[in-house]
Amino acid sequence: MADGLRLALVIAAKDVRAELRSKTALLSATVFAALVLVIFNFARDPTALSATDLAPSALWVTFAFAAMVAMNRSFTVEREHGALDGLLLAPVPRGALFTGKMLANLAFVAAVEAVALPLFILFFNVDLSRALPGIIGTAALATVGFVAVGTIFGAMAVRTRFAELMLPVLLLPFMVPPLIGAVQVTSRLLAARPLSEMMGWLRLLAVYDVVFVTLAALAFSFVVEE
Amino acid sequence: MPAEPPATGGYMVAAYVVAGTILLGYFLSLLRRAKRILKQRER
Amino acid sequence: MTGLSGAAPVVTLTRARAVVRRGIIISSIALIGIGVAAVLALGFTPIEARQGLAQKIFYLHVPSAWSALLAFSLVGIAGGLYLWLEDPRLDLFAAASAEVGVAFAAVMLTTGPIWAKPIWGTWWTWDARLTLTLFLFFLFVGYLALRAAVHDRHERARFSAVVGIMGLLLVPFIHLSVYLFRTLHPQPIVLKPSAPSLPWEMLRTLLVSTVMFTLLYIGYVTIRYGIGLAIDAREQSDAG
Repeated sequence: MADGLRLALVIAAKDVRAELRSKTALLSATVFAALVLVIFNFARDPTALSATDLAPSALWVTFAFAAMVAMNRSFTVEREHGALDGLLLAPVPRGALFTGKMLANLAFVAAVEAVALPLFILFFNVDLSRALPGIIGTAALATVGFVAVGTIFGAMAVRTRFAELMLPVLLLPFMVPPLIGAVQVTSRLLAARPLSEMMGWLRLLAVYDVVFVTLAALAFSFVVEE
Repeated sequence: MPAEPPATGGYMVAAYVVAGTILLGYFLSLLRRAKRILKQRER
Repeated sequence: MTGLSGAAPVVTLTRARAVVRRGIIISSIALIGIGVAAVLALGFTPIEARQGLAQKIFYLHVPSAWSALLAFSLVGIAGGLYLWLEDPRLDLFAAASAEVGVAFAAVMLTTGPIWAKPIWGTWWTWDARLTLTLFLFFLFVGYLALRAAVHDRHERARFSAVVGIMGLLLVPFIHLSVYLFRTLHPQPIVLKPSAPSLPWEMLRTLLVSTVMFTLLYIGYVTIRYGIGLAIDAREQSDAG
């Protein structure tokens, strides 16, 4: 068990190091996130829709699309270098392989979210002093869910011709429940609502994570088997 | 005194026509594809 | 007379032809049945007072939603069974069910707005059934796009099975999300004559329509499965 985990971390570290060297995915995703935030601000009528009303949706749409860009790039880079095939030839247990890939993707997406969040605070003038821990927690909860699905779908998409299109087409329906939950919780956090009002949504996020991380991990071996 | 039901017959017709078109259209497409793939190699 | 490699495909093509023929018979019966149901709905079922004639769209809308959901569930279940048993016929069936499901989902998604417009003045409502079917539609399309993009048949079968199972498990979460959303943002109660006060003539017509739509699903899937068998037979004889 501990071996598997260590192996996963090694795999994840390899991916992260490779990405840190080229920086392409992180850079494109971050710029993309910033642009989306800017567009959200200019695309609304300030007299009709206040910044605080729009804020949760703007934040989460940004996170969602930036995450997709990040995950897409990470698999494309890997395909270009044939790295996945090399790993498959080695006797690596598939569970560790999935965990490693997922951790690496989580690291990428978390990095993009970490950059997008301060930009969000800046552009939308939101006071996050009390809500920040809650928002970070919610972000973690929601991100784990769609990164798990994105990891397995990415592994599939990379074997098709239109990988950049296939991943979003497959992944977007699966991002909706975590997105809805995250937006609902975030808007309540920003309005300083009591925890009881968010419990239903938080439970939805948690159950989604448990179900889909497990499912993705189990199904991964069917995707990468030769 | 019960009121007259609203005059929504046009929508009903539209819906039935659209549904019928989709179902029959799909049936025809299935038939055409079946014919094409089964016809070849008939010696 | 073709050699040994030719014998197998001819037999399979014959089988494909038989399957397609059976499917055509079932579908034709079902289409006639739906015609009967339509006559029942238009001529022999009372008009609903608040909605007028538009309410009769109900007898198309609900059964097509049911068929779409049935199609989708079977895609997921067949996928799961395929991963376990590795029987290629399961994959063939899943592909057929997905395509047929798209047709029924399209009927549901077109009749839905046509019904909603005169009743609520808006083309779209995010009610549970419409939203779910919209998601089914997207999942179907993604599933079919993936199948078209993978050329190795074993890989295609495996990938499709995974997407099918995951999609099926997504359905309860979509449902839950919509339910949670609506309890917090109540929307006008759907003006459908739902369960308790449904007059028996309406119930009867609905049941007839549902049975016929289910039969049509079976018929269409059978034809499409037969086409799949024929494509397989063709590929094998081309390769062999």
